[in-house]
Amino acid sequence: MIRTCGLGKIYSQGVHPVAALTGVTLHIPPGQFVAVMGPSGSGKSTLMNLLGCLDTPTSGTYMLDGVDVTRLGDVELAAVRNRKIGFVFQAFNLLPRMSAVRNVELPMLYAGVPPRERRERALKALEMVGLADRVHHRPSQLSGGQVQRVAIARAMVNNPVILLADEPTGNLDTRSGREVMAIFQELNRKGTTVVLVTHERDIALHASRILHFIDGRLVGDEKNGNPVQAAGGTGTGPHPDCRGEVAVP
Amino acid sequence: MNLLESVRLALEGIAANKLRSFLTTLGIVIGIAAVIAVVAVGQAGRALLMSEMEKVGTNIFAVMADWRKGDSVTGREFSLEDASIIKIRVPEVSHLSPVSSTMENVRGTGKNRSAQVYGTSSDFAHIRKLDMKRGRYFSPEDELGRRRVAVVDQELAEDLFGRADPLGQSVVVKNTPFVVVGIVAKGDSIFGIGENPRIFIPIQAWQYLFSPYISYIEGSAAGKDQVEAALSQTIKVLERRHQAPGRYQGVSMEQQMQAANRITGIMTLIISAIAGISLLVGGIGVMNIMLVSVTERTREIGIRMALGARRRDILVQFLIEAVVLCLLGGVIGMSLGIGGAFLIAWLAKWPPLVSWWTVLVAFAFSAAIGVIFGILPANKAARLDPIEALRRE
Repeated sequence: MIRTCGLGKIYSQGVHPVAALTGVTLHIPPGQFVAVMGPSGSGKSTLMNLLGCLDTPTSGTYMLDGVDVTRLGDVELAAVRNRKIGFVFQAFNLLPRMSAVRNVELPMLYAGVPPRERRERALKALEMVGLADRVHHRPSQLSGGQVQRVAIARAMVNNPVILLADEPTGNLDTRSGREVMAIFQELNRKGTTVVLVTHERDIALHASRILHFIDGRLVGDEKNGNPVQAAGGTGTGPHPDCRGEVAVP
Repeated sequence: MNLLESVRLALEGIAANKLRSFLTTLGIVIGIAAVIAVVAVGQAGRALLMSEMEKVGTNIFAVMADWRKGDSVTGREFSLEDASIIKIRVPEVSHLSPVSSTMENVRGTGKNRSAQVYGTSSDFAHIRKLDMKRGRYFSPEDELGRRRVAVVDQELAEDLFGRADPLGQSVVVKNTPFVVVGIVAKGDSIFGIGENPRIFIPIQAWQYLFSPYISYIEGSAAGKDQVEAALSQTIKVLERRHQAPGRYQGVSMEQQMQAANRITGIMTLIISAIAGISLLVGGIGVMNIMLVSVTERTREIGIRMALGARRRDILVQFLIEAVVLCLLGGVIGMSLGIGGAFLIAWLAKWPPLVSWWTVLVAFAFSAAIGVIFGILPANKAARLDPIEALRRE
């Protein structure tokens, strides 16, 4: 699915060039749930931008779904972002003036999907994340967790081959964060490759594989044989904290 | 993304900032309104001028001494017999009259009034198609019989005789009494405004009272297409009779109308161009606000790019927003301009004249302004780096 070889990024805007990412060689097969961990400045966001085709590397190659995307031009990269990649951001990044359903329709707008089909698929995607009753709400009328679920619906609506999530729980409370992770795990179970950037080990432990970055280098590739199950799913059930009996010493 | 959706998106963007959008497009509104009003008023004015000139007659012409060449005017350029001889020799001429005029005090029943005293032949009434309200113009018999008869216009008649019937009354010009035989309508001449009251007497009497000098001769051709022939033939006969080649020049109403048409056209163009400057200023205003809008919506642009918008999609989105903004301004301006033109026409009692092409040109023009002044901000938006744009608050 994802295959990088010696991927590197050097920012040369300032006086001194800064190597944000150096020699990352990586293979993520389809259907994997990968967490990318590291302190701030470790290059994980740069990796995210490169994997998401928002940025181009200064060295190395990047094969996505069998295509060498480092050779693509602006127009093709836009198409790759549109069809093959779904983004979920820490800051949600919904358009505030548009309702949930119109936000979800956006990627299909640029994919040239006809209006009726667009609306149908957007409603289905919102239903999938448990927001069927919130489709005409604006982001400001939704809670943080709900907004992030709209964002996930938007990321998945064009059936991307890979879901990239950059600190998706960073702006959420624990409960909403767990709901979001449950959706990711559900999507992953259905076959979506998920790459999740986080600096919280609790969140990373939901993945089956954890990559560690320090100073722009891949320094650890950890197998997680027993990922934490966020369960509960879309927040319609009881709060996970209250599920089962509380152990009393 | 198709055009309809881009327009919808643009309208949403405009509606989100109603006041700002209105103020942005105000320059376009004023510019388009001004241009349309000016062109409409100009066209109405021209049409009015043409109809006034046509009322006087499109087949009339005049010949005068060309004082630009050589000798000063001697007063012997025309003789009394010229008119009748030319009428015989030149078949294209249907009527011809020597004309002289001067300002003089005239007296009615006790009242004095300064008036323009015209000396003409009986043909003059036919040439100018004078609108006789009462009585008649003087006849060839009056001329031959050297009768002291006069025709006054309505204004002068009222001034001199009040409510009394002016026909048969006596009007005194330079101590010589004339019998009023006819009343002519006021203001049949070009514009009809600010004209002095007029009195017409036979040219022979005028020459006797004032001077033997004849100012010019005025005539009408049998048809509109014979005016030029009548004019050149008349000049030829005059040159031969007075042995003065190049001494005469002629003007026809046709030429005058063409000249007037040209002048009003140029005037309209100049004023429109000045009004058009406000369109330029309006366009710059639109560009300015679009640049602000791009800065404000940098994050939105980043999001759209991350979701798969091509640079072209972003360019088109902002360009269409600018065009829609300008078109809205154009439509508002058009309504105001047309309304203004009708108001001015109503106040001036002119026929309102807004031609369809003015509206079409204004529409196209406002769209063009949108494209011209929208391209820079739209290009700026399309060139944004998606990562930078996403990071912006």
